[in-house]
Order: sequence, then C-alpha cells, then structure tokens
Amino acid sequence: MQTQTATTREITYAQAIQEALDQAMGLCDDVIVMGQLVDYKSGIFGTTTGLVEKYGKNRVLDMPVAEAMMTSAAGGAALAGLRPVVVHQRLDFMLYSMDAIVNWISLWYFKSNGESRMPLTIRAITGKGWGQGPQHSKSFHAFFAHIPGLRVAMPSTAFDAKGLLLESILGENPTFIIEGRSLFSMKDEVPEIPYRVRFGEGKIMKSGKDVTLVAIGTFVPLAMRAAFDLLKNGIDVEVIDPRTLSPFDNALVCESVAKTGRLVVVDPGWNFSGFSAEVVAGVVEQVGSVLKANPIRVTLPDSHTPMSMSLESQYYPDEQRLSDTITKLMRQNGL
Amino acid sequence: MQNFSSINMKAGINTIPLGSVPEDTAIALYKAMLRVRMIEEALISEYHPADEIRCPVHFCLGQEAVSAALSFLVKDEDYIFSHHRSHGYYLGKNAPLRALFSELYGRETGANGGKAGSQDISYSDKHFYSGAILSGATSISVGTAFALKYKKLPYAAIAGFGEGATDEGVFWETVNFAALHSLPLLLICENNYYATYSPMSKRMAVENIAQKVGAFGGKNHSVFGNDILSVYMSISNALEEIRSGGGPVFIEVFTYRNNSHVGPEDDSYIGYRSAEEMAFWKANDPIVLIEEKLGADMIARLRPGFEHDIKTEIDDAFKFAKESAFPATSDWQMLNYHPETPLADSLLKEFASGNFNQDQKDHIPGPY
Ligand SMILES: Cc1ncc(C[n+]2csc(CCOP(=O)(O)OP(=O)(O)O)c2C)c(N)n1
Ligand SMILES: [Mg+2]
Repeated sequence: MQTQTATTREITYAQAIQEALDQAMGLCDDVIVMGQLVDYKSGIFGTTTGLVEKYGKNRVLDMPVAEAMMTSAAGGAALAGLRPVVVHQRLDFMLYSMDAIVNWISLWYFKSNGESRMPLTIRAITGKGWGQGPQHSKSFHAFFAHIPGLRVAMPSTAFDAKGLLLESILGENPTFIIEGRSLFSMKDEVPEIPYRVRFGEGKIMKSGKDVTLVAIGTFVPLAMRAAFDLLKNGIDVEVIDPRTLSPFDNALVCESVAKTGRLVVVDPGWNFSGFSAEVVAGVVEQVGSVLKANPIRVTLPDSHTPMSMSLESQYYPDEQRLSDTITKLMRQNGL
Repeated sequence: MQNFSSINMKAGINTIPLGSVPEDTAIALYKAMLRVRMIEEALISEYHPADEIRCPVHFCLGQEAVSAALSFLVKDEDYIFSHHRSHGYYLGKNAPLRALFSELYGRETGANGGKAGSQDISYSDKHFYSGAILSGATSISVGTAFALKYKKLPYAAIAGFGEGATDEGVFWETVNFAALHSLPLLLICENNYYATYSPMSKRMAVENIAQKVGAFGGKNHSVFGNDILSVYMSISNALEEIRSGGGPVFIEVFTYRNNSHVGPEDDSYIGYRSAEEMAFWKANDPIVLIEEKLGADMIARLRPGFEHDIKTEIDDAFKFAKESAFPATSDWQMLNYHPETPLADSLLKEFASGNFNQDQKDHIPGPY
C-alpha cells in the first residue's frame, strides 16, 4: 500500500464527517446530501454545516418528513447517476424506509444480474444517553449486516468516519454508515486530504498478547480505556475494531485469537441474535481449538432502551464492567 | 355505447375520433396492441402444459393500450418503472422479446439471467425497471426524475402502476415530492378497479384518485383507457408538458383486466366480478374498439399480415428461450455486490491511520 505523507490535525468525529461530505461534493458533482434539516446552520450536529452555502440548495436538500420516499428517491437518483447521501438524525426515523432498503436497494444489483446499481450512502445516527429512550437509540447494525447487498460500517474514530464515508460515497454499493451520537465530540488525528478506509479491513487499535477484545462502534473508546487500565494490572489486551460489519474482517480477529487464545466481544447491540454472536461464531468455526476459555460477550441487555438515568446507566455496560469481565476471564486460566 | 353504472368511471367511456391521430399512427398502435395481446395469449397457453415458466406472471390482457402508446412515445433515455404487471411496460419500453421469454424460463440469456422473473424484470440498457412490491418502483422513479432535472436532461421518468398502489402511504409521499420539486415524472395509474379480488370501494373512502393527486398539487387527468387514441393523445400531451419543464403529470387510465389477477388459470370462480361487468368490458375491449374504428375492411386486409409477423416473432422467442442454457452455479457473494471501486480508486488517497488517543471520554450529549 502506497501511503501518502500529508498534513494531519486533530478534529472531532462530527468535523471529520462534515469534511468528508465537503470533499466528496467538491470532487464529484453527482454527490448530493438529502435529509431533514441538512441545510440549516445546526447541520445535523455540525456534520452538514456550511455545505448549503458552498454547494447550493439543489445539492443540499431539506426533505419532507417522509423517510420511506426519501430512501426510495435516493435509490432512483443513484440509478440515474447521482451519488446521494441520505442523512437521518436518528436511525429510528429511517425505519419507515425499511421496504426501500430491504426490498429494493439491497437487491437491486442482484436482481438486475449485475447490470444496474444504486451507489448510495445512508448515514444513520444512534442516540445514547440523556433519556433518548426506546425510539431514539437503536443501532440495529446486526440487522443491516444480515441483509445481502448492503455494506455496513460503524466508524468509531474521526479518522475512520471520514475515510469510510468517502469510500462509501465514491463506491458502487449501497452502504450504511451507522454513527454513534456519543462519539461526535471525540477527537482524532485526521489527514486533510481525501483518503479511503476500505470495507472489510479491521484495525488493531492496540496490540496485546493475553486476550482479544473485539469492540464495535461506540464501544471502541470504552474498550480502549479498559485495555490501557488493565495493562496496569499486567493484562495485555489486544483491541480490534472491525470498522465495517459487512464485509467483516473475520481473518484479522482469528489471527489475533490464534495468538491470545481468548475472546471478548463488546457490542452496542442486543445480545440475542446479535452481531457479537457472529463474531464468536466466526472465531469458533475457524480457530475454535485454540481457545483457552469460553468466549464472552458484553452487550446491551435483551431489552429496549429505558429513559430514566438510573436505568440507562445499568443498560449500557461501562468500563468497569468490561475490565472486571476481562480480569475474571484471565483468572479462569490461573493468571 | 352503453354506460356501466356499477363503475364509477370519471372519464366515462368516451373515445376520440380516428382523425385525431394520423392514420398510420392509429394502425401502428393497433398492431402494437395486437402484439402485446398475442404475446400474453401465447404465454398463457404455454404456461401449464409445459410448466417450464416457473414464476408468478400477472398478465395484462385488456390493458394493452398504455403499453402500445408508450412504445411510440418514449425515448430510449426515458426511464420506465413498472409494477408487477410488467410485460406491457417492458414491451412499451421496446425491450427485446427474446430476453423477456428467456427470463420467464429462468435462463442465462434472460433479461436478468433468471434472477428476477416476470414481476421483477428489468432491462437496464433500455432504462426499464420493475418490481412486485406495490408503489416501490413508483417511489424510486421520483428520485430518477430528480436526477434528470438535476442533470438538466430533457427526459422523463415514467411510473406505471395499478390503483392498488395508491393504497400505500409512500405513494402519496412520492406525489408530494414530485409536485414540490416540479419533477419530470409521468405517473400512469391503470385503474382496473381491483387489487387482486378487492374492489376499490372496499379500500378507499374517496375513489377519485386523480382528485386526490390534485390535492397534493399534482396535475392530473383521467382517460378512458380502452380507447387507444385517447390514451395515446393523453400520454403524448403529458410527456410534452413534462419534457418542457412543466412538472409531474398524473394520468388515471380506466381500464379492465380481462384475465385473472395472476397466472393463466381462470379466477372467476371466486366470484369477485359479476358476469355483467365482465361482459361490458369484453364489449369495450381496446382491440375491439380500435378495430371498430379502423373498419372491418381495413382490419380484414391488415390483421392476417400482422398476426403472421407477430407469431413469427413469438415462435422465435420461445425457441430462443427453450434452447438457452440455465444459469451456471453461482458465486453468491459476487451476485450481490459490485466488486470494483473505479471512482474511489481515482479520487481517494491511501493513508495509514495513526493511534487513537484513548485518554478521552466519549460524551453524553444533551437531549438531542
Ligand atoms: C406491498 C405489497 N402488498 C401486497 C402485495 C400483494 N399484491 C400483489 S398484486 C396486488 C394487487 C395490486 O393491485 P393494483 O395495484 O391495482 O394492480 P393490478 O394487479 O390491479 O394491476 C397485491 C395486493 C404486494 N405485491 N405488495
Ligand atoms: Mg388494480
């Protein structure tokens, strides 16, 4: 891989998204951004701010509160050569467009026998905290990753948010970018140039030798803090962020587990039939015999999200719980 | 012509005189309808004896007028989006017959290599698309219309669907958006009064669909759909208006499905349509009506030659389909994802990411 030397600077996750949109629109006239309120100063938590001034109302489209049509229309526009980016302030709102996603967009390429495609990007934001409750907090990544024909990314850092969004907008398949609202103010070193992060390439966020911790989306920062904390107790955790769930870099995870012999998955989704189960299955099927202990999944409970702060804090696993889980796992093997 | 009181047909059964279009146009429209009719009849007669067509097919006998009119009025660059009753629209977009038949037979040479079948068929080279989920393709068409306007192209997106599609909520979101942005979209609603067996009166408090479209700000009109000349003129005018930037037009085409809802079998045993009603529509069949207009002498002169041409074409398509191979075993992943990224390759750089700073808290934002 030929890498560039280029200026980087620290910007937030929200700024990185805005920059990706700005650069994609600058690089390609076919890119349009559509969604409710995308052309206001507030700009979907700053991620679309300034675009309408630069590219005009025809390319930065405020949409009626009609998500089903919005998604279908994005598909039709993509078919005729545009590269729409659909923005949903909450993923929960997008669910009105399930038919467009599942019955049309995901199978368009297949159904046309590879002759026709819909390159479009759907940005959907998952809320967390401050009483978002059950209709403003769903992530649903396992469900979207389940559907053939869709690609699904869950960037956890500003670097990945920009690179994956650019890769998606200028790519050829319909793609979901599921963004964690709780990540928007987090900072990272981000290059100024337009660069790509490829789908299906996970990243070792911290290398380690004792246990493989696969962390997804909003739980990556949590996993990193836990991992560095555990280092003080002599437990060396390898943290892997798959970055994209479809396609999923199972090989990277298996390689790590082959080294550590232990697997913990921390996933901001429901446990039952969740993505965490897919990660465990991928390891067990490929390198199951190297496991020194049963894999552990740290997930949301199999429940809808509560509003009350006291319940919310039990609902989302925290750093302490993750550290305790890993410590216990290590003790199992007499460490 | 007798009126038919059980049907609330806003357009009436008015027809326009032969002189409204040049005679060769009328004759060409007649032949195009005859072609659709004969193709559908041939498929119906082949369907069961052989059982080689193994997909649901919604035939369009009695509804040939829209197809015939479109086949002379669309440009290659226009887009057509059809519902499940797709053959008329496929032929209306002048897509090849062989690929249609092959697709129905599930062969490699089919329009979609046997992935789609009758109710999901597409033919990208001709910008023809369809799908079975009601209103789905229509709602996609509004985005294509947006893209055409965005690119300042003088073409139209055309969606064809039944009155049943207007039961869906997303249909009205689509009408609203098309009107709001004044998009180059032609909405053709073939109102055949039934969704499967269910009549409009059981599904809608207000049966006047054109009027409802009007409430959303869309231009609309209604036409007696079994008079090919009325259908032709009304689609022609609408496309002209749309191409000159006039915004979307909705046409409600009152017509009737002569055959059963799906498949070659007769579904009249269910008893959802009265014998009287079916007899009325048989008497007002679009081919019968144009033959009346063109006159017995001319028909006697023209029809045998037309039938011969069409039959030859149909025989060829059957032969082609039956002789084609079935698709090879598949690499499933390849079927579902486009494997290349040419634009990203040309515009994006490679860059290795650095280390993430773990000494920062993720953040519970405010209430929003
Ligand atoms: C969303 C959805 N719901 C139900 C069906 C099942 N279905 C297939 S055809 C049909 C009736 C369609 O009636 P209409 O739109 O008037 O078209 P027609 O069949 O009369 O040509 C129904 C309900 C479907 N295809 N899609
Ligand atoms: Mg109908």
